[in-house]
Amino acid sequence: MGIEIKLFATLAPYLPENSDDFPIDEGETIKSLVNKLGIPEKDVTLMFINSLRSTPDSEIADKDRVGLFPPVGGG
Amino acid sequence: MSSLAEALRKSAVTIDLPKGSRGDTLGIKAVARIAQGHGLPGHVVEAEALKLDIIPSRYLRNMDSITATDQIKLLESSIAQVGLGGLGGTLLEMFLRTGIGTIRGADGDDFEESNLNRQALSTPDNLNAPKVSVATSRAQEINPSLTFEGLNTFLTKDSLPDFLTGTDLAIDALGGLEMRLALQHAATDAGIPLVTGALAGWTGYVGTVMPGQLGPANIMGQDNGAEEKLGCPAPAVTFIASLMATEVIKILSGQPSDLASAMLVIDLKTLTFEKISL
Repeated sequence: MGIEIKLFATLAPYLPENSDDFPIDEGETIKSLVNKLGIPEKDVTLMFINSLRSTPDSEIADKDRVGLFPPVGGG
Repeated sequence: MSSLAEALRKSAVTIDLPKGSRGDTLGIKAVARIAQGHGLPGHVVEAEALKLDIIPSRYLRNMDSITATDQIKLLESSIAQVGLGGLGGTLLEMFLRTGIGTIRGADGDDFEESNLNRQALSTPDNLNAPKVSVATSRAQEINPSLTFEGLNTFLTKDSLPDFLTGTDLAIDALGGLEMRLALQHAATDAGIPLVTGALAGWTGYVGTVMPGQLGPANIMGQDNGAEEKLGCPAPAVTFIASLMATEVIKILSGQPSDLASAMLVIDLKTLTFEKISL
């Protein structure tokens, strides 16, 4: 049992091998997950759980789909 | 207008339409001639023709995706686009071909060699030329019926309100994050929707911001983003621009936006498409 992680743009290199079924701890939040993955917190601007925008304190549950997105502004 | 209607009916040519039935059409030369004769912009002539069930030939293949009713609305619409670079050049091309009556475009930049990988308006021959001058020529070349108003300047918080005044919709085709929030605020102040999009590498997003709503610019911050490392490849620019143009066409035709209060997040490499509620 675990979660699915999607990392976008410059965050892609932090994607773990088991991103389709990544184990989480009791009370896991976006913030603790970001730290676990070794991503600098300031590099994440948009975070979402199951297609709903979330905050660093949002709790993650088993089978959730979590997406992390850095600042992107190119045209 | 009765003499205009008469001129339109006289110049109409009845043909077998691609969808099977027969119908009246109006060629581009007839549009130009009637526009000149009546002292009207071509897009006004084309809108009047559509009201008489005469289809301007150049829009024949828009039906039934952009119906005659939609096309009239587009021809009578006015949009304000900030940026004529990567997203902006491709967007302009699509708006000119689709037939949006009045297009205001601003950019203070000149073309340079590093634009050639993606910016539809840039060519080796027009390097160092102002983007607005090239856009003006291109507009005339593709669709002389439309009104293109170019402004060769980088808009600021102070000059944005005037630029948006009198238009129906704002388009954020800016490069970088610095001015995006100011544009979103200016669109809210003007009471018009904003269609926005950005990318870095193969990743990007598109969103529609109705006046006063939260938008991507609230979330992304104002420091430059991942594009400084990942760049902006042509397929990603063109793809994001296509999604933005479709949003613009939908909104101007009076259809509800599926991206209001949302962002469509895209990654072309992993083929990820996810609509995020904000």
